[in-house]
Amino acid sequence: MDVIANQLFAGLSMASILLMIALGLAIIYGAMGVINLAHGEFVMLGAYATWALQTYAGIGILPALPFVFISVAAVGWIVEKVVVQNLYHRPLDTILATWGIGIILQQAVRLGVGAESRFVKGPDLLSGNTEIGPLIMSNYRLFVIVFSMAVLAATWMLMTRTEFGMKLRAVIQNRAISECYGIEAKRIYSVTFAYGAGLAGLAGALITPLFSTIPTMGTGLVVDAFLVVIVGGLGSLIGSAAASVLIGEATAIFSIVINDTLGRIAVLAGIILLIRFRPRGLFPTETRR
Amino acid sequence: MSSKFQYDLVALVIFALVVAFGVPAVMNYDGFELNTFARYLALAIVSMALSLSWGTAGLLNLGQAATFGMGSYAMAMHLKLRASDGLPDFMAWNNVETLPWVWVPFESLTFTLLAGLLVPAFIGGLIAIFMFRARIAGVFVAIITLAFLVAFQLLFINQQGHTGGQNGLTGLAQMSLFGWIVDPYSMGFYNLVAGCLVVALAFGVYLTHSKFGLILRAIREDADRARFFGYNVANYQTLVFCISAALAGWAGMLYTLVLEFASPTYMSVSFSLAIVIWCAVGGRESVIAAAFGAIVVNMLEGRLSDVFVEGWHLILGVIFVLVVMFMPRGIYGLLSESLQKLRGIGRPRDHRDAETFPNT
Repeated sequence: MDVIANQLFAGLSMASILLMIALGLAIIYGAMGVINLAHGEFVMLGAYATWALQTYAGIGILPALPFVFISVAAVGWIVEKVVVQNLYHRPLDTILATWGIGIILQQAVRLGVGAESRFVKGPDLLSGNTEIGPLIMSNYRLFVIVFSMAVLAATWMLMTRTEFGMKLRAVIQNRAISECYGIEAKRIYSVTFAYGAGLAGLAGALITPLFSTIPTMGTGLVVDAFLVVIVGGLGSLIGSAAASVLIGEATAIFSIVINDTLGRIAVLAGIILLIRFRPRGLFPTETRR
Repeated sequence: MSSKFQYDLVALVIFALVVAFGVPAVMNYDGFELNTFARYLALAIVSMALSLSWGTAGLLNLGQAATFGMGSYAMAMHLKLRASDGLPDFMAWNNVETLPWVWVPFESLTFTLLAGLLVPAFIGGLIAIFMFRARIAGVFVAIITLAFLVAFQLLFINQQGHTGGQNGLTGLAQMSLFGWIVDPYSMGFYNLVAGCLVVALAFGVYLTHSKFGLILRAIREDADRARFFGYNVANYQTLVFCISAALAGWAGMLYTLVLEFASPTYMSVSFSLAIVIWCAVGGRESVIAAAFGAIVVNMLEGRLSDVFVEGWHLILGVIFVLVVMFMPRGIYGLLSESLQKLRGIGRPRDHRDAETFPNT
């Protein structure tokens, strides 16, 4: 029983990280139909930005978060302006182009910072564990779970309660008509892409104390995050949240029932089956296209 | 016989002559250089296999590396068994006492060669039936094949006692084909790989210009319309997936012979995407262009990594992004467009010649 409870918590912790990464991807994919394979590299940039701020400026993870968000969003904005913007009419080519951007970012970091693993200290405020009976929860992981939910709520508010969100939803539904109403679709796309990249940067900053920070850390994460987005349903925020909990918990449960690797294989097999029978995901959004 | 078919035949003959006679002469018949180039030629086969499913039928298979890996492991298993008397060394390290039943038939070369083609074709076919019966298309094909690739590689690394795990299969014997010991640094071996590539390309050219290829292109343009004409779309898609997988397996077998080991990195996501890159750079619409793309990119990789020991990956990434942005149809598209312009000067432009390519 203790094992199961602790494993459920581990699954939830993994789900919160997946959600943070997948959220940015879901917005970018949902809004523009762009499969951003450079998203993992945005996470990696966020992690390195945190490391740089801590090492050279002595800023801890929590105060660093706004800086990381802005800097990675700026990188995303440039990438969108220079490359992605020219490819909206060729969605499958964006897979290839963003993969190329991923290679460039990864190599740039490897050349600039070095290939060795970097260490980032977690915040002192959140060290230690909270124990409820046999259940031992790391405070930092608890914080990440709460933070990811806050980001989800903020994104949801942005999409549904602000003027920008309304314009974005209009562009998603019908780009040509909304342009007739004076919405600058190009600008909306740029800002959305930058916001998605910024979220990836935040995710990267938060996982630095949990993962080792290396230039290749993004590649594995992007595949997982992308599966979350597809399982959740095209561009659905709630779907992405549900899918990340589902995948996180399934991985955690399978890994105690069988073993880590076979558990992951079982989850992948489940995902393949799900896409086969529900290609529009668990929570498809209703849009007229 | 259409003029396009003639162009392809001419291109194939030139390609074959250059690969068979030109390249070895330029390389001064040096064993090491020939081995390196034979590696590029083996990779050209897998790139050309992808162009069949991606360029002709519009199915982006991100799991091509899985079928490539199956072929390369089939060959490596055979050579490993020949190199060791009885049990291969790594099995003993992993407390596997008897030879697993999967390994037993690989004692025979005939079985190995067949398995290297048929196992990938069979598994590729299973995935294809699974996907295409449900009319899965576009991005979802890419995602399912990608997820399959990740799962397959994990499984392979996990079964260390049977597959050598992360280390792969090393310390292989040299293949003996009808009493000829295949030395990967010899001219004879180079000719073998080059011959395989030319045969595969001839097959690919024939296929794309046959009625089968025509129907595949129809499906790529509009699957529903092809369906209304009475074609069983799923069967055509499955068949092209099988053919592409078998060719990838063939390339994998040759690759093991070239490098003399098999490693699970052949089944990695980045290797699979690299295949897509080669195919895109060359031009996915033509099998010859795709093969050419693989050779060019790999040669460039080789040269760049000599000159810029650190930054060559960066340069490659930049080149690739530029190709996707400004040459969406690859080198092939560039050539055929300029050819069309040249012809356009002489006579009024014939619109039936202008080929449209979909946005998939």
